Amino acid sequence: MASPINKKELLHLAKLARLNLTEKEESKLLDDLREILGYIEKLNELDTSEVTPMNGGSDLQNIFRDDNNQKDTLRGQGRESFPETKDDSLSVPEVLKRHD
Amino acid sequence: MINLRELTIKNLHDHLVKKSFTALEITQAYFSHIKDSDKNIGAFLSLHEEQALQSAEKTDLRIAAGENIHTLSGTPLAIKDNLLVKNLPATAASRILEKYTASYDATVIKKLREAGSVFLGKTNLDEFAMGSSTENSAFKLTRNPHDTKKVPGGSSGGSAAAVASHMALGALGTDTGGSIRQPAGFCGITGLKPTYGAVSRFGAIAMASSLDQIGPFGKTVEDVAILFNTIRGEDPYDATSTNANYNEQKIINPKLEDVRKLRIGLPKEYFTHQMDPEVTTAIESTIDKLKNFKIEFKEISLPHTEYALATYYIIMPAEVSSNLARFDGIRYARREKALAGAKNLEDFYREERGQGFGAEAKRRIILGTFVLSSGYYDAYYAKAQKVRTLLKKDFDEAFKEVDVILTPVSPTTAFNIGEKTSDPLEMYLSDIFTITVNLVGLPALSLPTGYNAKLPIGFQLIGKHFREEDILGLGQYYEKLG
Repeated sequence: MASPINKKELLHLAKLARLNLTEKEESKLLDDLREILGYIEKLNELDTSEVTPMNGGSDLQNIFRDDNNQKDTLRGQGRESFPETKDDSLSVPEVLKRHD
Repeated sequence: MINLRELTIKNLHDHLVKKSFTALEITQAYFSHIKDSDKNIGAFLSLHEEQALQSAEKTDLRIAAGENIHTLSGTPLAIKDNLLVKNLPATAASRILEKYTASYDATVIKKLREAGSVFLGKTNLDEFAMGSSTENSAFKLTRNPHDTKKVPGGSSGGSAAAVASHMALGALGTDTGGSIRQPAGFCGITGLKPTYGAVSRFGAIAMASSLDQIGPFGKTVEDVAILFNTIRGEDPYDATSTNANYNEQKIINPKLEDVRKLRIGLPKEYFTHQMDPEVTTAIESTIDKLKNFKIEFKEISLPHTEYALATYYIIMPAEVSSNLARFDGIRYARREKALAGAKNLEDFYREERGQGFGAEAKRRIILGTFVLSSGYYDAYYAKAQKVRTLLKKDFDEAFKEVDVILTPVSPTTAFNIGEKTSDPLEMYLSDIFTITVNLVGLPALSLPTGYNAKLPIGFQLIGKHFREEDILGLGQYYEKLG
């Protein structure tokens, strides 16, 4: 498969990944991604139609613990590194547009 | 006079117990050496002398009170800066975490703290552990102690360089594709990537969660075994950690009769790759030494080896893109800019992340977002997961015939600073011998061949799942061969 990455695609990915890129970064990234994706094409030499995918790093299945009450000792920690707080909450820029 | 060059964890413990010197004196000696030497090496991002001296004093009080102390009590350690130590910075060498202070101890740190270890400082790394040379750090360059024009390897380059230049007696790193083993090899020390699930990752800043493991560095295999034995174990805070049936005595004091029974496999695919002639010679001399030690060798095949790197460069960035989504410029301490300037939250995220992440982090986030995106998922991510199964089957088959697999750690010795920074694929290829182990979740030890070359040359022993005792045992006897 030919590498599908073009500038439009890259800008879309940057938006999805919540990254602002400079123009210089864009052109370097396009070159790098084309090279890396070109290398990755190698996997198409393998027929994997009968292979079960490996999910995660081991054969472990989901592990569940009992739903016990636990004392949350970390509540509030980390807040001190945040510049703006109000009534125990953190202030952030507008998330949803206001329609008054 | 304390000679830091000759200290190991084991003999420091003996000295402390015999009261040849105190833990406080040894910690002071390390800080004095760090202040002299680290300006040439650049291993540390932050030093924490006050806390370190306080914990050293605790060991001395226990000794004075006649209490038994843990082998690691009073041991001065360096900690990679992507592991959380309560109340200390944890930057992961990234601008986006420049102001972050850890609010809790990683489980491995908690265990070492309980043992009485002393944390000297936090070490440099490639940003978020992404790299093979430590050149991707947002803050500083780390140099190889054997030749300061060369890289120390990466991503745990600061930890490896600290131990190799006697600025710490041991260290912790993380290994996602070789980040402990390759710098250990480049710096001429020993490093262990434990089995996936052997060591809790709680409190490690995640890079690629199906691949990451925390592991130790040391000057000897025995020191690495002592550290591993202390940090391993199941942890309710990391659901992938398991309580494997380890035998403590066999990890620390392996028996010759057990080691002699081990059969070593040499995968032919690892020896056809283009390698420095000097690396080939060093590996051959290691094989000869082990053969003279009456260890049985067998040629084996891991037929899908050539597909490992491509598989890794799909799975790893996919996981990176989701793990790094949490760094929004808000939750883990703010950087310089005021919140007020942003029009809305999305713009704020894009601006903060755009400025806060370095080039390699951005490259992997974009690549990961791409391979997971609608329309490409099956062609890339799903395909890679299937090839991962094939890679695992290669090892399952091989381990029916042998107990341990021996390979080089890297195709070359430490390369020049700046040599590979402009070509990411060339940099990625330097991890060709270490990456498969992470994809398959196996334990692997990197240790010096002892071959007399200009720069250190390491070799790798790969074990079966949860059989660290085999590779650590073989490693301990190899060291004694001299």
